[in-house]
Amino acid sequence: MDVADLVDTSTGRQSRSIYSSEPIYRQELERVFGRCWLFLAHTSQIPQPNDFFRTYMGEDDVIVIRQKDGSVKAFLNTCTHRGNRICRADRGNARSFTCNYHGWSFAPDGALAGVPLENEAYFGELDRSKFGLVPVAQVAEYKGLIFGNFDPAAPSLEDYLGDAKFYLDVWLDALPGGTSLVGETQKMVLNTNWKLPVENVCGDGYHLGWAHAGAMMAVQSMDLSGLSVGNSSANLEGGLSVAGLNGHMALTFLDGVSGYAFYPDPKPMLDYLEANRPTAIERLGKTRGEQLWGSQINITIFPNLQFLPGLNWFRVYHPKGPGQIEQWTWAMVENDMPEEIKATILDNQCLTFGLAGLFDNDDGDNLAACTEQSRGWRTSQMDVYTNMALGRSGAREGFPGDIAAGLVSEHNQRYFYRRWQEHMQASSWSDVPAYNLNSLASREAVDA
Amino acid sequence: MLDVRPQPALHDTVTALTQRLFHEARLLDDERFEEWLELLCEDVSYHMALKSRRFRADRSAPIAVGAGNVFNDNLARLKLRIDRLRSGFVWAEDPPNFVRRVVSNVEVLDADEPNEAVVHSVVVIHRNRIDGQTRLLTAGRTDRWRKGGESWLLAAREIALDHSVLPDSNVNVFF
Ligand code: FES
Ligand SMILES: [Fe+2]
Repeated sequence: MDVADLVDTSTGRQSRSIYSSEPIYRQELERVFGRCWLFLAHTSQIPQPNDFFRTYMGEDDVIVIRQKDGSVKAFLNTCTHRGNRICRADRGNARSFTCNYHGWSFAPDGALAGVPLENEAYFGELDRSKFGLVPVAQVAEYKGLIFGNFDPAAPSLEDYLGDAKFYLDVWLDALPGGTSLVGETQKMVLNTNWKLPVENVCGDGYHLGWAHAGAMMAVQSMDLSGLSVGNSSANLEGGLSVAGLNGHMALTFLDGVSGYAFYPDPKPMLDYLEANRPTAIERLGKTRGEQLWGSQINITIFPNLQFLPGLNWFRVYHPKGPGQIEQWTWAMVENDMPEEIKATILDNQCLTFGLAGLFDNDDGDNLAACTEQSRGWRTSQMDVYTNMALGRSGAREGFPGDIAAGLVSEHNQRYFYRRWQEHMQASSWSDVPAYNLNSLASREAVDA
Repeated sequence: MLDVRPQPALHDTVTALTQRLFHEARLLDDERFEEWLELLCEDVSYHMALKSRRFRADRSAPIAVGAGNVFNDNLARLKLRIDRLRSGFVWAEDPPNFVRRVVSNVEVLDADEPNEAVVHSVVVIHRNRIDGQTRLLTAGRTDRWRKGGESWLLAAREIALDHSVLPDSNVNVFF
């Protein structure tokens, strides 16, 4: 397969085969999920020593474990004897993990700690040090978010995130207390290729007024992105589509309150924002403290992590073949929030973007049908387009990235597929380009 | 949890409430949502909590702020969901899915309040979706029904969903 033909960023074209082809999917597992930094867990989900959390990296089952010294390790969740899954719980606290098949047991640091009949059956000849759990090559944390990477040659997490940190920090670092994910994991199977929900959330402001019209009519306080019900009219001025940051993206309002204005009773949330605004400005500077903190923001970390400060949902998509994902969602809070506000956020997140979410429930079937319509003999040879507002982007004072005005453009989606193509074409990290367009640091250097 | 004395109710009550559950299921199957709302108390609570799979011996601390919910609804929220479904803009329900509820294992017990009964039941929701595929959703329910005049009204429903990963792309249904 020639990956160069699958995506054309200059025209916004994608081949539909990228949503259905098994060989392309196998290559994604190797070159995207096998190479990129993938979100594993939030530090708040494993606060105590021996706390563990089970997740996936691509299709590989992984356990993330808090160590005695406070550090975090991650291991493939598979027994080194015959391959059985060693941990079958979603989360918890365990002093050891004992395999159900023959009873090998592993310590939280991955060491093989016990082998039944070790002397009698193995004659004492088993070198336990060679049969510990297999660790994920790199594990690193950025301000509470724990990521793993299967590729020992991958750049550091800091470099990988690059200038996307400017936007990430609006949630992660606005206040000194840091952040948490709350609630149990909301898990749902969707019959979609994994890229479709990512492109939907990373840049598709266009679908809000139409796909979610029913919910928008019912929940009239939610004027998402300035769109009217039925996409009949729109105020497209009010935000930015930010891309060109190593495949990471942001879609943001600039008013500093819109995220919380969507709540049914916004008053306590807005009071919280105003009480803490000076601190946020002090920590993030005027632009971010005034314009971004409190705004509705969609943030995408390539390839499969997305979160929305404001509506406060945090989500990863785990691929299960070319045509299926598990979508995992949590509510996100700032630790400095009063308990009532945290509870309101959890409740509202479940109501809007939970398993029975008024908005979330509109997206799944569209994504599934786009996937299915890429699988036929004829449709798999056809193309789809993200060609809205081509070429209408550039630098913007005070913000890093290549930026298009407003939330309704397909600017971010094109960068998402460009990054996907760059990874799919590269045989190793040394062939993957790094770019943080219009970086603030470089512009200051030019100005000086 | 609801406070339950394991006291089977009188035969008439059992019959009336069992019929109530069947009637309710038929109203929902037929999308007669407004008539369904008339079966609910003004102060109804309609709840389904999120769960995770944990080892039996697990002793880790409860999740801060709480587990979160699939449904945490009062009457106003249920009406909100119905307003959405009635908007004509919920594309996932047009053409309508084939939805059929099977209600079973009905057990009616006297509640502490003289005019209330606790009703356990199981509901299986068969959804034949737009993609031609069938999804089955299974849940246990513990209800509190209150007698208002001649008829029984639902005061509280606690729903235990039996899926750790929801096997469908939406929950545009009531349990
Ligand atoms: S497979 Fe785990 S002990 Fe044999
Ligand atoms: Fe959506």
